[in-house]
Amino acid sequence: MDSSEMTAAPLPVLEPFKGVKRVPLEEYYTSGHRTCQGCESALVMKLMVKAAGPRTVVLGSTGCMYVANTTYYSTPWVVPWMHTQLGSAGSAAVGTAAGYKALMRKGKIKREPINVISFCGDGGGVDMGLSAISAALQHTEYNHLILLYDNESYANTDIQSSGSTPYGAYTSFSPAGKAKRILHRRWKKNVAAMLAAGHSECRYVGTVCASYAVDFMNRIRRALSIGGPTFIHSFDPCPKGWDCDPMMSHELGELAVLTGIFPLFEVLDHRLALYGKSKQIAEGRQKRLPVRDYLLKQGRFAHFTDDDIDYFQAKVDQMWTRWLVPGVLPFQADILGDKPPA
Amino acid sequence: MGRTVSVEIVYRGIFQKTLAKNISRGVVLAARRGGKVGIAFGRYGDSPERNGVPAKNFAIVAPDQDELELSMAQYEPAETDVTIAVDDTLCKGVESWAWYGLQPINQKVRPDGVLVVTSTLPADAIVEFCHRKPFPYRLAVIPAIPSFSGLWVYKNDHTDVRVLGTLAKVCPELVSLEAMLAAIKEEWKDDLKVTSARRAYEQTEVRVVRPDEGNPEVPYTFTLPGWTAMREGVTVEGMPLGAPMRVGGEVGGYRPARNPYFKKFSTRTMRPVVDFEKCVKCTLCWLQCPDGCFDVTPEQTYDLNADACCGCGVCAAVCPVDDCITMVNEAAFTDHRSQWERYKADPAAYAAWVRGMLAGQSERSHGFRYRGQYQEQIAKLRAGAGGEGGGE
Amino acid sequence: MDADAAAVQAAEVEQEALISGSEAVAVATKLVDVDVLTAYPIRPYDTLMQYVAKQIADGEQDAEYIVAESEHSQFEIAKHASAVGARALCGSSGVGWCYAFEAIAVTPALRLPLVAMVGNRALDDPGAFGTEHNDALAARDLGWLHVWVDTAQEALDTTLLAYRVAEDRRVYLPVAISTDGAFLTHSQSLVRVPPRAWVDRFLPPYDRGKLVLHPDNPITIAPQVNEDWLMEIRRQTDEAMRQAPGVIEEAWRDFRAIFGRGDGSPFFEEYYTDDAEIVLVGMGTLSMPVRVVVRKLRAEGQKVGFVRVRWFRPFDYEGLGALLSRFAAIGVVDRDFSMGSPFHSGVLANEIRATLYAQDRRPPVASFISGLGGREVTIPNVREMFELTRRAAESGAAPRDTLWIGVRS
Repeated sequence: MDSSEMTAAPLPVLEPFKGVKRVPLEEYYTSGHRTCQGCESALVMKLMVKAAGPRTVVLGSTGCMYVANTTYYSTPWVVPWMHTQLGSAGSAAVGTAAGYKALMRKGKIKREPINVISFCGDGGGVDMGLSAISAALQHTEYNHLILLYDNESYANTDIQSSGSTPYGAYTSFSPAGKAKRILHRRWKKNVAAMLAAGHSECRYVGTVCASYAVDFMNRIRRALSIGGPTFIHSFDPCPKGWDCDPMMSHELGELAVLTGIFPLFEVLDHRLALYGKSKQIAEGRQKRLPVRDYLLKQGRFAHFTDDDIDYFQAKVDQMWTRWLVPGVLPFQADILGDKPPA
Repeated sequence: MGRTVSVEIVYRGIFQKTLAKNISRGVVLAARRGGKVGIAFGRYGDSPERNGVPAKNFAIVAPDQDELELSMAQYEPAETDVTIAVDDTLCKGVESWAWYGLQPINQKVRPDGVLVVTSTLPADAIVEFCHRKPFPYRLAVIPAIPSFSGLWVYKNDHTDVRVLGTLAKVCPELVSLEAMLAAIKEEWKDDLKVTSARRAYEQTEVRVVRPDEGNPEVPYTFTLPGWTAMREGVTVEGMPLGAPMRVGGEVGGYRPARNPYFKKFSTRTMRPVVDFEKCVKCTLCWLQCPDGCFDVTPEQTYDLNADACCGCGVCAAVCPVDDCITMVNEAAFTDHRSQWERYKADPAAYAAWVRGMLAGQSERSHGFRYRGQYQEQIAKLRAGAGGEGGGE
Repeated sequence: MDADAAAVQAAEVEQEALISGSEAVAVATKLVDVDVLTAYPIRPYDTLMQYVAKQIADGEQDAEYIVAESEHSQFEIAKHASAVGARALCGSSGVGWCYAFEAIAVTPALRLPLVAMVGNRALDDPGAFGTEHNDALAARDLGWLHVWVDTAQEALDTTLLAYRVAEDRRVYLPVAISTDGAFLTHSQSLVRVPPRAWVDRFLPPYDRGKLVLHPDNPITIAPQVNEDWLMEIRRQTDEAMRQAPGVIEEAWRDFRAIFGRGDGSPFFEEYYTDDAEIVLVGMGTLSMPVRVVVRKLRAEGQKVGFVRVRWFRPFDYEGLGALLSRFAAIGVVDRDFSMGSPFHSGVLANEIRATLYAQDRRPPVASFISGLGGREVTIPNVREMFELTRRAAESGAAPRDTLWIGVRS
């Protein structure tokens, strides 16, 4: 052991769960939360700490998973949990991991692996907190995972559009009106690829969807055990903001992957790989479903015309047919030639 | 000159947000036509709302501004002349964002006040759900499938105006039928909606509920501690770990600890019924449940905890076996007994119970599944009810 | 300075060092073995972290030293480190402090004994580097303890006191140490640096007890509340602040016993007050010209004095009220402003007025705004303020509105 290993905080050993029957029964996130029926993000919380195990602390930035999820006296958390501010998921992770590291090095607390997970919604991770997350991914001496649960709007405050809201979606900041059918004209940020591309020392960046629960948990375990700062982007159907029957949360997660809208990939020690159904799509073994099948199951797209749907489809087609790395990296000189319908 | 009249609308968060707002606005606009003033507002603590979690809207009408101010800058009135439950399962009691513990649906109804419920059930069945009150009050049931939609697409099945028409009947001092119909006409500019309101006025029946009728249970409450008793640093104890289940002599599986301060079942409008004979132990219902409401039995099957389940239906959606998990209208249940324990006690009787539950259950839905769905549902309603309902 | 720390400790004697106020705070962080420090550049606060960086780079200090990407992150990182039981320090200046304001606002209710240095600086716009107290004062009502120092020695000593008070179980509140930009942060003076062993006797380890964020202590920290809870939580913070004065006095007594410094009240410093007829009241380094003028006027036979407020929160309204009610008139010098406030005063003047209101004897209060944006408070400025205060004493009434001293008309 060299001196840097002596001073580094120890890492846990978290082997992947080999199949759904090997998933442990213990829950470290249980009932008590006041989330919506069919809240996929609540499921994300449950699977996240189930994967991480009992020697874990969770930091939660402001958003649904704070306000709805963790209200006074009705906490669902078995493991320790602490609120952090909306833009602070990155800073909370760094401060917590740094505190443990210092205390362990100085012998003030027992030296042991402690999983530090800091989560944020898309408001906290894609908009306000992006800068702090970027900084956190540079501090390679601290072990932690930042998990972005992306329900594609500021769902807690009653569904306002964010940098992660898909093009054209109806939100309370982008209603379909008499004069303007579509107010939200921004294309969703490609945040995981952006962070992977921009932080070459970060050893793990991945995208997940809780509809694929075992894949989801094993990526959490990989991120926590690899060392240094890591980032996972989770795609979370939101019955409230997407205006859909809560029982469709699982199905919409699958459809987002199967239509190619949300590619599943990971960048592990600089090696990029699509996985699961997204890998099959890239290899031509899984037919990419039309986005219509996904869009028209959600009230937030009910105002779409056929032209809007065609535009959406064309943009997703581009991801898979014209991007430098399909589904991941959008470098392609002629993309700007496409314009949204008036 | 009249007096202040308070109307409470208890509804399912998000699913009935627009409906509740339409009703509370309709009350104030109609009362205005009768020369009165009023305010319409939501229970602030319910906001931001969550799908299915009970929430409240209010309309308060007063003879003049001075009287009205007595009811302003408050979250809710102390008592109501009319409480409206736009979903009959709310009558089992509501646990919301805004308070701790279970509130009876009729908690705020004053003596001789009225509870208005939209339901396909008979009034006697609704009475059985409602907690007892020490004095008589009235109950009006508007025959309707509870109207559910989502945040962006409204299901215009005329429930809003049917409730408003009913209000003119059960609380004439609030507003006359003529003023109500005129307000509806002006707000919606739709003669069909005026007709629906008038029909509701004519057809809705009212019955008295006596103190010896209803659910005798005392709902669980929560006492707010003082500042010296509260932990410092805005901290609360975390939840304990769960433990293996102990049922009779059997020990095994896993039962998570569950928070006693928020149970969530009053969010539920449909309950999963598990046919244990069909279960292939695939784990998906348990693994995919956002609320961790399945106990793992010593046999590695999955038993619903009816206190924790909010009825989202994800378990039924992910279950790979036909009719193994089926969502059944919550109104069909009278208790929270363990389905697995029932099954273990008498498999044959349980099988019969499951068959009964699956047969003849009334329709419920949870909002938007595909574009065009509401139009289809409304057309079906119209065909079935001789023009009842309307819209879109 | 910076002799081998081990040698200093062994010797158990103080060493003299030529350091600035910011550097004195940096040295103090080494003496108290701070675990986590966060840095973000803004003048004049950056002088503290530059010195820390050197101490870290030279292996003199063992701490996690984190260069953050914003003031907001700086304060959030330090806040979370404090929550896991690590001793933390950060700080800022001017609009940097404002950029961190969200994190600053949430820290007291969490009862985190974070210590921050404010290198006092004028708020933009226009950008200006000089001292003004409105940055720290913007956070005066939130549950932070606020203390103003006037020498580098006091900056070092107060940092030790700050951890002792903040980490006391009865308090558990953050402390902001205000140091005037330029005059303290960019000026080196001779400072006595105590040995680590003395500091260890004075400051026990930070023990977060049942509030610590650690897998062995499964708690949920800062869940969302509604109107049913917040008043009780605010009352708890209020109670902690009410406990702070007693804890400060205890710490002050122990400090004097161990370090041999620290006479009089911990909350304010009195200068020639015993027989004074009129006094000026102020905070920070304006004490220097005021003391000079006090001595000159004394030599001329005028019974004048000076009261320098150290702890602004908790505000010692009992002690200051009893003291100030004795005088024939008081002149309050604010190096800050409170636009549109009663009498268009600065912040301190109205705190003094409120304090005196509870006294049976209420001398006239003249209020002055001076030295904004780092402008020097000159000897003639101070003479003018004493003269105006003297006239108030003679006439029995102060000018109704606040006077700006040293502003070009």
